[in-house]
Amino acid sequence: MPSVDPSTDATEEGPHILLAFLQSQSQNALTRLYQKPSSCLSLFRLMRPLERQLIMNLLWLESPIPVSMMASWITREGRKAYNDALATLASLHVVPKSTSKLALNPTFKTSLRHAITGGDVSGSFGAPVGSDRQYPAPSVEALDAYALERWETILHYMVSSGTGQHPTRPSQEVLFLLQRSGLMTNMHGGALQITSSGFQFLLHTPHAQLWELLLQYLHMVEERQMDLVEVSSFLLMLSTMELGREYSTESLSTTQLAMLADLRNYGLIWQRNPSSNQFSPSRLATTLTSCAPPLPILNKAGIGSQTQGFIVLETNYRLYAYTDNPLQIAVLNLFVTLKSRFPNLVIGAITRESVKKALANGITAEQIISYLTTHAHPQMRKNNPLLPVTVQDQIRLWELEKNRLKSEEGYLYTAFASQADYEYVLNYAKQLDVVLWENPSRRCFFGSLDGHANIRGFIERRTAGNV
Amino acid sequence: MDTASHLSVVIDLSPTQWHLSSEAAKGDSRPLSLEFFFSQLLVFLNSHIACKDENTLAVFGALPGRSVLLFSSANEAKEHREDLADANAYLPFKTLDSTVMKSISDHIDSLGVSDVEAPTGLVGALTKALCHINCSTATASTQPNAQATSLDPRILILSVSPDQSSSYIPVMNSIFSAQKLKVTIDVCKLFGSESVFLQQAAHLTGGSYIYLDRPDALLQYLTMSFLPPPAIRQLLSVPTQDKIDFRAACFCHKRIIDIGFVCSVCLSIFCQPVPVCSTCRTKFPIKTLQRLNAARPPANVPKSAAPTRTLPSTNNIRAPATNGSGTVPVPPR
Repeated sequence: MPSVDPSTDATEEGPHILLAFLQSQSQNALTRLYQKPSSCLSLFRLMRPLERQLIMNLLWLESPIPVSMMASWITREGRKAYNDALATLASLHVVPKSTSKLALNPTFKTSLRHAITGGDVSGSFGAPVGSDRQYPAPSVEALDAYALERWETILHYMVSSGTGQHPTRPSQEVLFLLQRSGLMTNMHGGALQITSSGFQFLLHTPHAQLWELLLQYLHMVEERQMDLVEVSSFLLMLSTMELGREYSTESLSTTQLAMLADLRNYGLIWQRNPSSNQFSPSRLATTLTSCAPPLPILNKAGIGSQTQGFIVLETNYRLYAYTDNPLQIAVLNLFVTLKSRFPNLVIGAITRESVKKALANGITAEQIISYLTTHAHPQMRKNNPLLPVTVQDQIRLWELEKNRLKSEEGYLYTAFASQADYEYVLNYAKQLDVVLWENPSRRCFFGSLDGHANIRGFIERRTAGNV
Repeated sequence: MDTASHLSVVIDLSPTQWHLSSEAAKGDSRPLSLEFFFSQLLVFLNSHIACKDENTLAVFGALPGRSVLLFSSANEAKEHREDLADANAYLPFKTLDSTVMKSISDHIDSLGVSDVEAPTGLVGALTKALCHINCSTATASTQPNAQATSLDPRILILSVSPDQSSSYIPVMNSIFSAQKLKVTIDVCKLFGSESVFLQQAAHLTGGSYIYLDRPDALLQYLTMSFLPPPAIRQLLSVPTQDKIDFRAACFCHKRIIDIGFVCSVCLSIFCQPVPVCSTCRTKFPIKTLQRLNAARPPANVPKSAAPTRTLPSTNNIRAPATNGSGTVPVPPR
């Protein structure tokens, strides 16, 4: 059975996007973040497997160990991954860079030990509220429905912007965030329009989408004079909480209380009313550090489509999507020519025009293929390869078609007095590696924009020297 | 590469052996007491869960005469435990720790005096662990999003009891099932003599067998050798055995033997030539029998039948080359 998991591919490329963001933070901020055991545990889970194992190896050691000793455990194939892992850990200040000894950051070590042994005293895993009261905690199903509704409102708004439809608008803060992150823009004044990165965003997995938005949120936090450490530790704390349980807001700081409203808008948490002193994390929040689908209700009949996979693609480019979800249909509409629609089924075809339209919107062929792969119907999973090769290849070919013409700005140098002059300047330009095209018989060549100042100076110096 | 993994831990809970272990001082280090062992084991189990949210865990206990499932993350997920909620601990860790300790003490309490001397149900626990893995992989593959649930199953056996030669056949059968299921078996021998069968189990399934030299560093041993899933072990080497005892136990007296006689039909192993195979009832010619009897050491060892221990990676059971009862090496692949 082919098992293509885009999330694992992403993790092999580089560290998680949150970790990449934290690498740019100061050591002080990170040390403050590491004081919370829940933050350490969540960050630990976001790391790559080898990094996790290295931390584990060092976690219970009291004294630093020589670099050479750790390196002797690494196999020949593991060398590169090991160096990568050490570099990531060093930039996160988890394992300070050193040429002789390796040891964990003491704050990180203490907190992670506390997390694993349960010896925390700071209450960083959130204070739960007992359920024997007048209002029972919301059921898991209710939370899932709530999270899905919030999240799909955002996505549906994005996908149908500019199509003339008017779906429910998400709140003003969400719209601002979408605009700030460059996923939507209002360049023509008035209504927001989805951008090409917004189109790409729609084809990502919900997990990646969620992190992308949260990361934008973290970027905005600095401008809003909120404490980044408080914000990120709250997000990481949410991810260790239990679905279907209510937590008290009493132990939260003012910054974190202010975040509650934002997170409500994204569907990460649920509150009975805005002034309630309890909140429940939704599945979007509790799966932040895992790769479990953040919206698993898509699996259940009735609310979303029947299964997570709903697309059947045939070798004749016909596509059958068993869904009645307006969001999924709208996303498919980005690159499929839809033909007919039934209560639980949409039929369309992948055509040159529809793919061209998607490519023009900035979606790549790879993204289309990976979307089709992740959402393939269980019946399709029996095929090997999963998607018909003809269709995959054709989508890629259509993308290549688009790239036949490449435009570059530059200058055409012509009317050289002699062949020697021409060759002299051309040689210089070639040394600079700025020649895009040349034609010796007509004594002209085309140089790129960056090289122009140099070439012009060179010609001027030469004419001045000749005079 | 970053996929969830499943770990089944089989704990040998023989009261007699643990009593001996907590008394015996090994070298300059302190003896390994049951209490210390549990504190380290729970931290190790928590570490496995900590590595990834989807990691699953099952804990089996091998008690005298019985084997029990102490914890399974598949069962616990459904239960809500109100009493355990605490702002200072990650709930899954707390659930795991309290469930394991509670079920162990329940089962130990229910042991009668007469039960204590019975041999431990290590094979039973191992078989249950394999069934558990088979069950979870079978259900995972029928789900539509099977790609996310590709398990990487492993079994870790924490053994203190000596080998019971009577369990040779069930242990070998478990090993073959594990190979078929692509399950890695790791073994950590905490106390007592080296275990021949468990060495073979680890070797044949690509796991690692470690004899605990320093009981006080138990957690470090567990973390460095048994925590990394197979994918990581290709990058970060874990210790493996330098020599493996490949001896088998005979089917007739359940003794571990150096030289065995193998039935050419069903591959049963005997410590002496027999006229009729007790497993498949095959009759061997009387002449062969006489020849084999004559060839048995120490009377005189024929050139071809010299038992050798210098080839650790090959089987060292050599039956004399004859037509009747054959030369097939055991265990059969």
